[in-house]
Amino acid sequence: MFKQLILKPEELTPLVDKALALGASYGEAAFHRVKGFQIILMNGSPITASYTLSEGVRVRVIAGGSLGFSSTDSLEKRDIITAVEKAVKHAKTTASIVSKGIEMSDERLGRARYEASARKDPEDHGGEDLFKLAVELYKSIDLSRYKVNINSFLLGLSYSIEEKSIATSDGGLIESRIPRLEVFYTITASSEGNRANRWQQIGGSGGLELIDELGVTQAIEDDLRSLELYLRTAKSPPRGRMDVVLGSEIVGLAMHESIGHPSEADRVLGREAAQAGLSYRRRIRPGEKIGSDLVTVIDDPTIPGSYGFYLYDDEAVPARPRYLILRGVLNEYLHNRETAAIMGTHSNGSARAEEWWSEPIIRMANTYMAPGDYSLEELIEDVKDGVYIKKYMEWNIDDYRWVARYVGFEAYKIKNGRLEEPVRNPALEVNTREFFSSIDAVGSDLRFYAGTCGKGEPAQGVPVWMGGPSIRLRGVVIK
Amino acid sequence: MTLWELAEASARILRKHFEEYEVIVGNEEEIMLKLANGEPSVTQSWNRYTITVYVAKNGKIFQTSLSSTSPGEVLEKLDTILATLTPSPLYAPLPEPTGQNYENTDDKIVEIVRSGDLSKVSEDLELDQAGNWAGTIRLAREERVLVNSNKASLHGEKTLFNGYMRVFADDESSGQWSWTSTMYRPDIAKKAIGAAARLAEECSGLPKRKIESGNYNVLLSPMVAGNLLEIVARSASGGAMLFGFSFFNKEDLEATVASEKLTLYDKPHDRELPGYSQFDDEGVATRDKPIIEKGVLKNILHNSKTAKLFGTKTTGNAGLLMPEPFNLDVAPGGLKDDEMLEALGDGLYITNNWYTRFQNYPEGLFSTVARDAVIIVEGGKPVGCAGRVRIADSMKRLLSNIEGVGATLWQIQWWEVSTPTRLPHILVSNARITSE
Repeated sequence: MFKQLILKPEELTPLVDKALALGASYGEAAFHRVKGFQIILMNGSPITASYTLSEGVRVRVIAGGSLGFSSTDSLEKRDIITAVEKAVKHAKTTASIVSKGIEMSDERLGRARYEASARKDPEDHGGEDLFKLAVELYKSIDLSRYKVNINSFLLGLSYSIEEKSIATSDGGLIESRIPRLEVFYTITASSEGNRANRWQQIGGSGGLELIDELGVTQAIEDDLRSLELYLRTAKSPPRGRMDVVLGSEIVGLAMHESIGHPSEADRVLGREAAQAGLSYRRRIRPGEKIGSDLVTVIDDPTIPGSYGFYLYDDEAVPARPRYLILRGVLNEYLHNRETAAIMGTHSNGSARAEEWWSEPIIRMANTYMAPGDYSLEELIEDVKDGVYIKKYMEWNIDDYRWVARYVGFEAYKIKNGRLEEPVRNPALEVNTREFFSSIDAVGSDLRFYAGTCGKGEPAQGVPVWMGGPSIRLRGVVIK
Repeated sequence: MTLWELAEASARILRKHFEEYEVIVGNEEEIMLKLANGEPSVTQSWNRYTITVYVAKNGKIFQTSLSSTSPGEVLEKLDTILATLTPSPLYAPLPEPTGQNYENTDDKIVEIVRSGDLSKVSEDLELDQAGNWAGTIRLAREERVLVNSNKASLHGEKTLFNGYMRVFADDESSGQWSWTSTMYRPDIAKKAIGAAARLAEECSGLPKRKIESGNYNVLLSPMVAGNLLEIVARSASGGAMLFGFSFFNKEDLEATVASEKLTLYDKPHDRELPGYSQFDDEGVATRDKPIIEKGVLKNILHNSKTAKLFGTKTTGNAGLLMPEPFNLDVAPGGLKDDEMLEALGDGLYITNNWYTRFQNYPEGLFSTVARDAVIIVEGGKPVGCAGRVRIADSMKRLLSNIEGVGATLWQIQWWEVSTPTRLPHILVSNARITSE
């Protein structure tokens, strides 16, 4: 829509040189721009449309073993130089009360330019196209097919283009461009004296073609059917210890919450203790068994078309798949260069910043459980008494990432290997070891779900995918 | 370029194309120290300019948010974009700009922010003596200018000093507390850190006990009550009701929605709290008002758009799209600090929480996870420290079961309480608790 100039990585090199001249032992500068267009419809009419442009320069340095960060959205040279000076000053000010100096791990840093491709690049399409697409999407849903009153249907469609240039004092030079598309909706409905709502976020990297490729219409229609079941026919669930089949939507979330977050090495080391918390991986170490042999969990930023796609992180480290659990055994952490240096290893390219104002911190990208070979029918047919939870609405987990709660939205009772009536709000509350250890069968139906993951202070939200197949858990408690 | 010059330059472009427009230009200078394991982990600072533009024509509306000091190219093209839209059911003419200019700053904060040097803060809070602390300390100066086609020409400037600290006695025993003010107040910061430290010590000295899931009387610290009451206040927004994010609806106005012990205000004119403002995002004068008074829902928060759809008037709570509270304030009750555990009798003292999520917004079904010290109380005495339990209940039920309100007020703002809130401890009977 609006094409602006970008500061190239080479143009940032003088800034890191300046930081070194001021006494820093490490310097990193980034130009970071996120721009996008969003349209929100309420019951089919546009309630608002907006264009956002957020761009600026951030500088991060180590001086005296202490870390300093400063950023500005003024692209005036004097303001950017002030940011460099401030970052060095911040670091020096606290250096005297830091007992163990911060260092960056040695890495083979990237010198590269890359971009995620889009067949219908958002930048080539105006707001008009997005508006038309949103209206067409809404009109493609035949609401009269569902026996519920739609109280409100909020449908948002947005695209963003993230452009970054990064330069580090030890030679990293990265330039990237990633377009993304996101659809989100909240449907509030009532029937039979009950009221409920369902929200969903769908997204990927790419262009407007993703509306079809990600199956948005089908997802909305499926959620309307779920609302109909929830409001009209669902009964109280069985409670107590039983076998539970979980759909891929919950499995994806559980991979994010129960192994992705706890594998972030900054949490393990206490750097996020006051915000997102700590991790059970402080006491259960790599090499220890956490789940059944069927469990392998991967976080992979390099999946083409994914919402969390990138090829180099914000410290210029090449991205690669990270194996968090390998056949039931806890494996690597997610590292940036600071935590890798502390633990005497290498970064696996997990540092990301949301925007120009954000320090790069350890983030997940696309976290998923590797699929097995069971069909959904096979997972269910071997359950005598249990529950199948296909979708959730409420979830949370404690700040050590040990006990999670997932409350079913679309769920069914299982009796003698067959699905029976829908049940409302079955609550699975389970600790992480029990969750992973109770898995005795893994489906082949791997699917990914988009999310915006929050962490840090100021809080940063970054796009991620969460994925998994359907799985079967033996003998867990439904409350 | 000053904020006025930036606002005027933007308005000049918009005037060419639109009869109805608004520009809000903001500048925020901010510095933040983050601590982990008792030491600084990073010091960060920001200097941000934001330009928020609203335009309307023939019932169509469009917004633009730019973190940029040269918005010309974008603003020139808004007319072309607007032409592609259809009228918005939310459209309402910009209201009369009744707001006033304001200044609520503390020179000490401005000096520290601009110096980029947190040595004084570090000294005042005795950070060199920190034990196993983790948290953040934040100081900022915020300035904004609002001009619009209704001849609004408003300026506001304020400062803030807030933060939170989590103190660990050991990996299983911690306390966390926060503070917030428009003034540089090391006294309240130290008091908050002291409260966190006392909870950590108390939990450390008590036997660790698991509790069974069931119904419990609970004493909610200001951290926990602040999180839940912020959700209550945001649910009282006309926008939240329209868009499906509320367990209230318009028929609840003047109805009893909580125990008569609860009175919750929105107080934009409270000079001590950082949400202070004399005008909202439509240039309308803000005013202090009860949201819930003695259990009755007294005000639904509106901007001109939601007010039009509800057939009423704005309450001066714009948000260009969503009406929002500025500062929250809970009227104190009679429970003194040393009486609270006794009033609780048998139950749980929940001192911090996070991850509050709803299963069903319209019916108010939610859960939230306790973190830090959860103190088991029997016969009014602490007897144990529990693990990470959940409150898994209905918000309506929880509000109705408020049995007592503390007398001592705390000023809270942190990760889980984004709206500055002054409130005491709150006692709730018969809350549904789940435990592993």
